[in-house]
Amino acid sequence: MSVLLTGGPVQVRDLHRVAAGAPVRACPHALSRMVGAEPPGGSVLARKRAWLLGQHAMDLPDEDLPRAFLIDHAAGVGEPFDPGLVRAMIAARANTLLAGRSGCRPVVVEALLAMLDLPELPAVPSQGSVGAAGDLAPMAHIARVLCQIDGPVPGLPPFSPSPKEALALINGVSVTAALAAVAVRRAERVADAAVCALAMTLEALGADAGLLDPRPLVARGHVGGVQVGARLQALLAGSRQVRAGRPPDAFSLRCAPQVLGAALDALGHVRGVVEAELGGVSDNPLVFEGPDGDDWVESGNFHGAALGLAMDHLKIALAHIATASERRTFRLTCGELTGGLPSFLVPGTGLNSGFMIAQYTAASLASEVKGLAHPASVDSIPTVQHHEDHVSMGPIAARMALEALECVADIVAIEALLAAQALDLRLAGHGPDGVGAPVPIAPEVLRLRAAVRAVVPAWWDDGVMHPCLKAAGALVRAGGLGDADPTPW
Amino acid sequence: MTAPLPPVLLDGASLDLHAVVQVARLGRPVALSPAARDAMGRSAAWVDAAGRGGAPVYGVTTGFGSLARVTIAPEDRARLSLNLVRSHAAGVGPACPVPWVRAMMLLRANALAKGASGCRPLLVDTLCQMLNAGLTPVVPERGSCGSSGDLAPLAHLALVLADGGTHSRAHLEGVELDGAEAMARAGVPRVQLQAKDGLALTNGAQLTAGIAALVCHDARRLVLHAELAAAMSIEALRGATRAFHPAVHALRPYAGARATAANLRRLLRGSALVDSVPEKVQDAYSLRCTPSVLGACRDHVAFAVAQVQIELNSATDNPLILPDAGPAPEGFAQDPLNHAFSAGLFHGEPVGLSMDALKTAVAEIASLSERRLYRLTTGSLSQRLPPGLSRQDRPRLGLMLPQTTAAALVSENKALGWPASMDSIPTCEDQEDHVAMSTTAARRAARVLSNSQKVVAIELLGAAHALAMRLESDPAAPLGAGTGPALERLRARLGGLDPARPPAESIALVDALIEEGDLLMGLPALFPVGATPPEGE
Repeated sequence: MSVLLTGGPVQVRDLHRVAAGAPVRACPHALSRMVGAEPPGGSVLARKRAWLLGQHAMDLPDEDLPRAFLIDHAAGVGEPFDPGLVRAMIAARANTLLAGRSGCRPVVVEALLAMLDLPELPAVPSQGSVGAAGDLAPMAHIARVLCQIDGPVPGLPPFSPSPKEALALINGVSVTAALAAVAVRRAERVADAAVCALAMTLEALGADAGLLDPRPLVARGHVGGVQVGARLQALLAGSRQVRAGRPPDAFSLRCAPQVLGAALDALGHVRGVVEAELGGVSDNPLVFEGPDGDDWVESGNFHGAALGLAMDHLKIALAHIATASERRTFRLTCGELTGGLPSFLVPGTGLNSGFMIAQYTAASLASEVKGLAHPASVDSIPTVQHHEDHVSMGPIAARMALEALECVADIVAIEALLAAQALDLRLAGHGPDGVGAPVPIAPEVLRLRAAVRAVVPAWWDDGVMHPCLKAAGALVRAGGLGDADPTPW
Repeated sequence: MTAPLPPVLLDGASLDLHAVVQVARLGRPVALSPAARDAMGRSAAWVDAAGRGGAPVYGVTTGFGSLARVTIAPEDRARLSLNLVRSHAAGVGPACPVPWVRAMMLLRANALAKGASGCRPLLVDTLCQMLNAGLTPVVPERGSCGSSGDLAPLAHLALVLADGGTHSRAHLEGVELDGAEAMARAGVPRVQLQAKDGLALTNGAQLTAGIAALVCHDARRLVLHAELAAAMSIEALRGATRAFHPAVHALRPYAGARATAANLRRLLRGSALVDSVPEKVQDAYSLRCTPSVLGACRDHVAFAVAQVQIELNSATDNPLILPDAGPAPEGFAQDPLNHAFSAGLFHGEPVGLSMDALKTAVAEIASLSERRLYRLTTGSLSQRLPPGLSRQDRPRLGLMLPQTTAAALVSENKALGWPASMDSIPTCEDQEDHVAMSTTAARRAARVLSNSQKVVAIELLGAAHALAMRLESDPAAPLGAGTGPALERLRARLGGLDPARPPAESIALVDALIEEGDLLMGLPALFPVGATPPEGE
C-alpha cells in the first residue's frame, strides 16, 4: 500500500512504512496548488548569504547562487544514515513543501518522490546538523543529488532549482522529523513487547494479582497505567499463577503498570509532537495569501526545539522500560527469588551457566540506555556569527533515541527469552516445593511462549547464547511479541 | 619497501601502546617469548596437579560466579570450559571494528603470557597464529559489563579458537566465514579446551583495554594536532603570545600547561603575524587560555595513558595461579598448598574510569577548538578576516557551515559525556554486585575521540584558509616555524585551498591527514603527551 502525502497530516506509522520501502504518492490536488514564487527584495539566496556573511556579501548573479549554496551546505561528517531513514527524510521534506507555503513548483516534490525510486539513495552523513536553521547539512547532501549538481542522475527529472527552491529544500528539520517518526514507531513496538514480556514474567514468577486490579490504577488516574493494567489483565486471563493473596512483590513486578504506563504516556505525548511536526511546515520564509497577493513572512519554523525536547523525553521513557525489564531478568536468574526455579534457569547449574551471562548483557545494555538518555537538547552552541545563537540539537537527540531503541529491543527480548525458559521449567514441574506436576500456564502467556519457542529452542544444556539472543531480538523488532503491524523494524 | 617489522615478543611485561597499534592496525606479527613460555608451563602444571587433588579451586573444580558453590567432577572439567565459552558468548549489536578485536586478542595473549593464569602456552600460540594469519573473530560490540572482565566479547573470540565452538564467525582476508572454516583456511588448529582454559580466555577486561589502548594512542596524536591548530588560529587571528611565556606558566606549573605553552612557542617562533596588533592587550579565552585548557586535557590524557600502559602488561585473570607465591603476609592464615588466588583483577574499573576522564578531556579539546573556529568565521572577532572566510569575488559561503558542523560534534560529545563507569547494575545473583561498565566507557571514548578529531580537522581547515588569506595581503610575512610548514602540507593535501568541492570532502581529507600523522612531519620537535619541559622552556 502506498503512502499518500497531502501536505497535511502524516502519521508516524505512515512515515515508518515509507522507511520500510512503501511507495509514496503526492496528492494531485496539493501538487496543483504549488506555485513557484520568490520573496520580494532581491534574490532570497543573496539575502541568505548576507545573513550568513554579514555586510561583506556582494551581489552576485542569481544563476550561480543555488548551486554554490547547496555545495557549501554539504558539510556533514560521519557514517551515512541507513537508506530507509533517508527515504523517510525525503518524504518528510516533500510533505512540508506540498503544503504550498514555500514558493516551490510541483517539480520539486515530483523530483523528491522520483528519488525514492532510485536504485541507490544519496549517501547522507549522519553528523553535522544542530537542528536549526533546519537540518541544513544532511538535507544539502540530499539536495545535491536531487539538483544533479555533480551531473545528471538517471531516473530523476531534469531539475534546476530557483533560489527559493534551493533554500526550501534544506531549511527545515525534516531529517530530525523522519528520525523521530521512525523512533516513535519503534518505541511503540518495543513498549508493546515489553508488556508481553512482563506478562510472561509475572506468570512465571507467580505474582500477586493486585497489580492487575483496575481500581488502584483508576484511582490514580494516569491513562498509561490503566492501559497497561488492562492489557496485562487480558494477557493473564485465566491465570492460576497470578492470583490474589500472594505476598507483595518487588517493585519491578508490582509497579510495572505504573512504570510502563508512565512510559506509554510519555510516548503518546511524543507521538503528538512528532505528528504535528510531520503535518506542519518547517521552512522559512513562508508565503500566505494576503489582501494584496502573496504575503511573505520571515519566522523561525526551521527551529527543531519541539522535536529535540520530544526525543530527549522519549529516551527517558525508554530508560524506564529498559531498567525495569532488566531487573525482572535479574530476578528470573536468581534461584532464591523465583519460587523454585533453578539458578540461571537451567537444571544442573555448575557445569551449565545457563542464562547467567544473558542477564549481564541486559545489564550492560540498560546502563548504555541510561547514558544515552542524557539530554542532547539542553545544549546550544552559538553558530553563524552569533546570528544563529540558540540551536536545538534535535537531530542528535533523535539519533541517540534510535540507538537507545536498539538496546531496549534487546533488553526486552532477553526478558522474553528468560521468561519463556522459566515457563518451560514450570511446565516441567519446577515449583516452590521441588519438581512435581506441570504447573498450569495461562493461555495467552502460552501463546507468547510459543512465539518465542518458534524461533529459539528451550535451553537444557549449555549451548551458544548469541544466536538465541539474536533470534529473540529479531522477534521483538519484527513485532512478533504483541505489535501486530507487519512493517519491518 | 621497508623491511617487515620483527614480531612483538609477548612476555607479559614489556608491551607498549605503539606495539599495540602496530599489531592491531598494521598487522605486525606477534610471538610468545621463550621465558614467558616457561613461566606459563609451571603455572599450568600446578592447575593440572590441583585438578587431581581434593581442594576446591574456583573455576577449575567449581562452577562460575555464584555457582562457585557447585563442585564439578574431574571428568566434566574440560566440558566446563567449553560450556563457559558457549554460554558466555552473549554479545549483541553490530560487530566491533577489526582493530578493536585484534587489540583485544593481543592483550589477552599478553595477559596469559604473564604465566599467572594456569593455562598452557598453546593458548597464546594459537592467539598469535590467529593474529599473524589476519584471522579476526566477529565480536558483537554491546553486552559487556567489564566485570568479571569482558566475558561476552572474549567468549566470542574463544568460540572461534576452541574446538567445538559452533555458531562462531570470523573475518579472514576480508571475507566473513564460519569460525571453524576460517581457522581451517588459515591453517590454525583449534584448541581442545582443558580445565581452566575457558576462564583463562575470558576473565579480564581486554576489549575495554584494547579499545582504550587505541584511543589513548589517538588522543596523544590529537593533542598535538590541537596544539598545531591552535597555533595556526592564533597566528591567523594575530594573537598575543605573551600568554604563553614560560615565566607565566612557571607560576602555575602544571606539566601539561607548560608543555602546551612550549609547543605553541615552538610552532609560532618567527611569525610576523603574532603580536602584530599593538593596541591589543589580551585575546579571548579560546586563544589566551589555550595552555590552561589544552594543558589540562594533556594531563588527563597522560593519566589515562599511564593507567592503560599498566593494564597492557597486567594479569587480569581469576583465580591467579602463582606457584612461586611466597608465604601469606604475617598475621594471616597460611595455606602452603593453595597457590590459586581468587581476587578481583578482572574488574574493568581502572580502565573504565580512565576512559571517562579521557573522554572528558578529549571533548574539551574539541570544545575549545570549535570556539576558535567560531572566531575565525565571525567577521567582528577575526581581526578583519572575511566572515565565514569566504571569498568576496565568488558565490561561496566559505567555511560558515563547517562551523555549524563543528558545533554539532561538540554538542554530541556533551550528550555522550555521561560517565559510563559511574553506573553499576548488580549481576550474577548479586555475587557480582558492582560492575565496571568499562567497555561502554571505552566505546564512548572512541566515539568522542572520532568526533573531536573531526572538529580539530575543521579548525585546521579554517586556520589554513585564514593564513592563506593573510599571505595574500602580505606575501612576504613569515609564518611560524611550525605553522608555515603545516600550511604547506595542508595545501598540498587539499590541492589548493578553494576548490569547488563540498566542505564535507575537505573535512574528510584533513581528518585523514590527522589519522596518518603526516601533518606533524617536518615541524619543530614538540613535547609529546606525558613529557614535562625542562625548567625555563
